Amino acid sequence: MSLFQIDRGHDGPARVGRIKVGEKELKTPVLAGPSSIQGSHLDYGTISRLDSNAESPMLVTFSFFSRDDSTDLASTPDSLLIPPVPLALSELGHDAIALILEHQLEFITQSLPPDVSARVLVRIPSDCSEETLSKYVPQFVKLGVLGAALSFDGLLGMNDLNTLRIRALLPLQWLVVALGRVSPSFIPLLHYMGFDVMDMGHALEAAAQRERLWPTSTEHVSTVSEARFCPCPSCSSIAVRKSFPTSALELHNTMVYHLILSESQSAMRSGQLRWLVESMTHSSPSNATILRMADTSLSGFMEEFTPTSGPKHLPLIGPESYNSPAVKRFRERVSERYTPPEVKSVVLLLPCSARKPYSDSKTHRRFLSAIDSVPGIRGELAEVILTSPLGVVPRELERMFPASSYDIPVTGTWDFEETSIASQALVTHLTKFSEDSVVVAHVSGGYMDIVKMAEPEIRQGIIYTTVDQSPTRSDSLEALKETLRDVHSGSGKTNPPSYLQYILRSTADYQFGRGAGEILVPDDARIRGKPYGTILCKVHGEQVCAFIGDTGMLSLTLAGGKLIRPLERSWVRFEGDRAKGGSIFAVGIHKADTSIRPGDEVIVLNSSDEVVAVGKSEMSGREMCELTRGRAVSIRHKLEA
Amino acid sequence: MSTTQKIQDEILKASLKARGRSVEHRKTRDPRRPAAKWVAEARVVGVRGKALSIVLSTIGCSHARGDSGGCTMCSYLLDGTSKSPTPEELIDQFKSALKELDGTDIPHSVKIYTSGSFFDSDEIPDTARREILSIISGLTEVQEVVLETRPEYVTDSVMAEVRGVLGDRAIELGIGLESSSDLVRTVCVNKQFEYDEFRVSVETARRHDIGVRAYVLLKPPFLTESEAIADVKRTIDDLVALKAATISVNPVNIQRNTLVERFWNRRRYRPPWLWSVVEVLQYAHEVSKGEINIVCDPAAAGKIRGTHNCSKCDKAVVDAIRQFSLDGDPRVFAHLNCDCKSLWKHTLEHEGISLLVH
Repeated sequence: MSLFQIDRGHDGPARVGRIKVGEKELKTPVLAGPSSIQGSHLDYGTISRLDSNAESPMLVTFSFFSRDDSTDLASTPDSLLIPPVPLALSELGHDAIALILEHQLEFITQSLPPDVSARVLVRIPSDCSEETLSKYVPQFVKLGVLGAALSFDGLLGMNDLNTLRIRALLPLQWLVVALGRVSPSFIPLLHYMGFDVMDMGHALEAAAQRERLWPTSTEHVSTVSEARFCPCPSCSSIAVRKSFPTSALELHNTMVYHLILSESQSAMRSGQLRWLVESMTHSSPSNATILRMADTSLSGFMEEFTPTSGPKHLPLIGPESYNSPAVKRFRERVSERYTPPEVKSVVLLLPCSARKPYSDSKTHRRFLSAIDSVPGIRGELAEVILTSPLGVVPRELERMFPASSYDIPVTGTWDFEETSIASQALVTHLTKFSEDSVVVAHVSGGYMDIVKMAEPEIRQGIIYTTVDQSPTRSDSLEALKETLRDVHSGSGKTNPPSYLQYILRSTADYQFGRGAGEILVPDDARIRGKPYGTILCKVHGEQVCAFIGDTGMLSLTLAGGKLIRPLERSWVRFEGDRAKGGSIFAVGIHKADTSIRPGDEVIVLNSSDEVVAVGKSEMSGREMCELTRGRAVSIRHKLEA
Repeated sequence: MSTTQKIQDEILKASLKARGRSVEHRKTRDPRRPAAKWVAEARVVGVRGKALSIVLSTIGCSHARGDSGGCTMCSYLLDGTSKSPTPEELIDQFKSALKELDGTDIPHSVKIYTSGSFFDSDEIPDTARREILSIISGLTEVQEVVLETRPEYVTDSVMAEVRGVLGDRAIELGIGLESSSDLVRTVCVNKQFEYDEFRVSVETARRHDIGVRAYVLLKPPFLTESEAIADVKRTIDDLVALKAATISVNPVNIQRNTLVERFWNRRRYRPPWLWSVVEVLQYAHEVSKGEINIVCDPAAAGKIRGTHNCSKCDKAVVDAIRQFSLDGDPRVFAHLNCDCKSLWKHTLEHEGISLLVH
């Protein structure tokens, strides 16, 4: 049984877990530090330099050049072990890197007793290639090692980016340790990227250089000018804020690591870790660089563990938000999965509102009442809200995360990137409508710029209802009504499908992929409810799904699960016959749709491929397959035995 | 082949590559002048005297010229020439250096370096060696002679010859042991002899009342600062047990066209801290109990290419090290201190676990 267990909860690749170190159980993420400082959760050291009083288990490494023939394991009961590797050997290139891994394999199999490999953390050089990694990692997995130790040089350049890349390629069940020069401002990103143990040794290095660390900056402490105010016990014991003993700086710096990790953990619990990571980009240009680079090359890894539901309030503040996983995924799903109902012949483009969902805002209530004043238009009208950085939000999906909860700074001016993101999304969106349909652009300012940028690629005719003035002014609204009356064909079906049906179908498509809406919500479905409450959908008298206005998502019943089963999506297969209790655990799952994300509505199949339950995923599909512990699905409905 | 051997092979290849074509492209020198010569104060047979150091310009160390790439930190052979000087030219080089002696009768030491081995007859032909030794035998003020060689050239016949010509002068053989650990010497230094060979040459020399001055390398590449200190301490223990005459601690400096230089350029190597030098000298003094001469003349000390601290305290620490080498009194180290000492301590603690070059 592994000493490391991953517990429930995700915010991006960030996770929580527990490691057993001797008698102690540590709740990850934790801070590791040298045994000479107080306050680390996990002490570390090199075996030849261990203090004689270091009796409790810790994280230890061995010297490659140690002259003691037998590795003295007796002095390290229950410690976590990093095999010996010569310093800087990886500098010699690929062959040397392979040898570093080879040597560790040898060390584990030849120098350690067999039961000790479960305590080993493999050292993986930052410049290790993906190829070498894929050759050696399975061998370490086979030996049952605990995880990996990676090293950051703190420059946040190519080396550190590579280290993040390596992290993304490691087995999910591994404990991953970030060693090296880790500044407090880097802690949230490491946490976000799924590191479980983080090195706080830089606290001492900074103190030795007369530096007082803060979450987002470094202060040089001199005897000339007074240092910043700090209420921590160490700093408040200093009478004159000019003469800090190194030991006081060490204590202060240590405290800052705890401060930032605690903030990071709290942000994760509230689903706002990504926001914290983004906010740290302002601590230095290199903090911004590494996040942007990681967003480019590791977006798949970040997205895979980003829950599909989120906090009630999601701040999206700067350019780092434009491509954050939840945002990018929303844009992609709308682009790939949303299909407008055929009857829609008028596309109305509207500006977004600060209040979410949009229809609760004052401005949108005015738009809606203008629309309702044109009898019969509703059935033909596709409302599309233009916004940054989500691009376009079809009215039917306005309650879906993150459309339901994002919050952006509103200045009226848009930068080029957000304008082009929205314009691209608009172009793609409009290709889904017939060429004969009409686009009514009830927008001004930056929204107008989006439409103008997209216009050359739009096949439909566009009518602008506002000219250089706010869309909420009464004459703008009058113009809108007039336009809608003009474009109203009146030839639509006498009994068009209800708006509630559009919501259900679009949401089903968004969650389960194209086509799910028509299967789950057939034309003869009985639908009743309110978008802001619950919408129930029955087929032949049996409930198949319910739309929950609060989350903007559908929850399935067993009958609904059976209906969408043929789509081969969102399925989890567990090795058993009937689901028992309230959860399915990862240990029982060998196969699952790898596109499942935490928070997704999933169908549970038994070993004979029958739908035996539906529920909410607690982890990603890949985790369900790879992890051998932890709750995979919380069951909502199940087949009774 | 074991993984350690494979690692050693990689390092050998990299050393060759770092050496590049520098050996072929050595500049041509006047074959009648030594590569370098200097006189400095020194401890000679236990009292203060002067030491004349001569670096003969030769074709250079056979190990460095060969296809094993030479040592990872050494490019002394670049001081030599690509064309081997004739015996007459080598003798002329020696004679020209002797002009540095000022004729005073205080005890003198003559140290002959060749950037290779004085007893390697490919480098110094037998005739030149005999003539140089016989010139020294005529100089009464020279009471100590230090000759540099790799251990494989230390044979009974050559030792008998040297002892015969130099009479009752103190004689020491400078041998670059670097480390008593075969692993460190072969892997980190890429120097290919075994500790046993060194031990045998010490015994051979002793039979002729010739002492060995062991050069010990502080911080070859691939060692953390802390491992480097531990390795030198252990080597000193072994040399004390072996009763070496002198231990010369040599902190690595960055020489051109070496593997160390390549690593240093890419921030994967830092020369040792002066604090580490002080620590091993203090240790050596303690364990040798005054029976072994402990010296240290660090090259490029206080400069970025040599052993250095934070720059503020470098001069004071280097001065103390030089003073200690002259009089062997460790009290000069007692009052040294600087803010950077805590950074050094952090390095000792953190480099090994993080495997990040500090």
